[in-house]
Amino acid sequence: MAAKPGAATPTYSPKLVGRTRLPILKDSDLDWSRPDGRGFHQCRPALLQTGAVSSASGSAYAEFGNTKVIVSVFGPRESKKAMVFSDVGRLNCNVSYTTFASPTIGQGTDHKEYSSMLHKALEGVIMMETFPKTTVDVFALVLESGGSDLSVVISCASLALADAGIMMYDLITAVSVSCIGKSLMIDPVTEEEGCEDGSFMMTCMPSRYEITQLTLTGEWTTPNINEAMQLCLDACSKLGEIMRDCLKQAASASEE
Amino acid sequence: MGLADSSQDLSTEMEVDAFRRIFPLRFFERHLSESLRPDGRQLGKARDTIVNLGLVSTADGSALAKIGSTTMLAAIRMEVMTPSTDSPDEGCIALEFHMPPICSPTVRPGRPADAAPVISKRLSDTILSSGMIDLKELCLVSGKAAWMGYLDIYCLDADGALFDAALLSAVAAFSNLQIPVVALNDNGRIVAITGGKDQDNASITEKEAVNKEKRKLTLKNIPFSLTCILHKNYILADPTTEEESIMDTLVTVVLDSSDQMVSFYKSGGTALAYSSAIKSCIELARKRAKELKQILGEMDID
Repeated sequence: MAAKPGAATPTYSPKLVGRTRLPILKDSDLDWSRPDGRGFHQCRPALLQTGAVSSASGSAYAEFGNTKVIVSVFGPRESKKAMVFSDVGRLNCNVSYTTFASPTIGQGTDHKEYSSMLHKALEGVIMMETFPKTTVDVFALVLESGGSDLSVVISCASLALADAGIMMYDLITAVSVSCIGKSLMIDPVTEEEGCEDGSFMMTCMPSRYEITQLTLTGEWTTPNINEAMQLCLDACSKLGEIMRDCLKQAASASEE
Repeated sequence: MGLADSSQDLSTEMEVDAFRRIFPLRFFERHLSESLRPDGRQLGKARDTIVNLGLVSTADGSALAKIGSTTMLAAIRMEVMTPSTDSPDEGCIALEFHMPPICSPTVRPGRPADAAPVISKRLSDTILSSGMIDLKELCLVSGKAAWMGYLDIYCLDADGALFDAALLSAVAAFSNLQIPVVALNDNGRIVAITGGKDQDNASITEKEAVNKEKRKLTLKNIPFSLTCILHKNYILADPTTEEESIMDTLVTVVLDSSDQMVSFYKSGGTALAYSSAIKSCIELARKRAKELKQILGEMDID
């Protein structure tokens, strides 16, 4: 009875995972219609919930279209390793993917790059002096990856931190924009990210109108960058409103 | 230090919480002497169980099982492999249980949890030995191609009785599994038949019929499990993490749909399980199996 193969037998997926490559037409207008029928400047509807994980100090679940993320926050708790004394708190972030997050079978490993980007986005907004000598752990698990993963993780992490009661200067929200040819698309899905010419992700504090992180890759012209920034700031403040409503609902539900 | 008197309501609110943290054993024993548990359950009663199917769109079958706060997400993806020469008619199931750092304060990123490989192995053994899945149903072309099912179970929230929730989610995921329709193309590789595409129709039609009948797996002898903890002379069914931390020992009984025992597991500990205790555990497991059968039955799973 074959229980589990001794050595890893090579397997292949019968499904065809094709990527349509758009011809590189820089000058002409591309007639691109978004797979889910959204407008170019329209974000996906957001579903946000706090208190998803009961064993954590604070947690949140976010679903933006097909991108589903759970973030748990533990702490402030004792710094485990024999670390040097620090009179400000420490932040530890980790982002990992499930093996079924992407359409092709992956290993589901920790995503080191996203972990460090999440760390940089959060360290500007958390008031570390309120928990000296201790560590706050922020762990994210991407259940399904449908595009703009890091932005969803960052927004969800800030919601989880608020649920855990960690003091912050403001909620942070993150939105990404994709540039295909001449058109800018906000909140791209996986197919759009696959054939984009440039990507732009911005994390900002909506009420304070300050940017904590900005990442730009690929080909961008200066007017495009300005337009993308305006789009993102606009979307971030709307997302900030949605997050606040979610927290208010959770707070009033617990009062009952 | 005096015991907090629970008859004084509001003034001892804070004290009850502190007492629970500092003297967990005495806190629980005071409840057990009244045949109750801190969350109000009877000793032999399991927590509310919910099962949801088909949540993961990238997987061929998936299920979410919640027992109380313990949440497990199971997903199956099918890939094609060449069967081994000793069993050319059989496919294979590769099961893995993950405890990501979000689920519990005790799990650290980069270091797999202590409990994870143990539960992974036990689940694998239980599912294969229960005979729930007939591996011959996973065969496509005898000797050349068979299905390999990758079953991944993720613990999203760890609050005790991890094995029970994981087994329930695995069973539900198998019932939700839809095997993709495939055909053998000219190169000897299996390809998926997508809805509207009409390529290679001639070579496809013969094989299509073969795979069309076997879209869902038949599940016989579905295993149901119940974990109990033994503490002095008390038997508590379906423990939470807090209860597991004060227990003397843990017993897991797995029964199948015809009340036959599939597996029995007692993990060391300071208590010896007398045959009377074991019989009570099995009785509780039988009741639980009926409850679970009803829950799965409501979702149309045979």
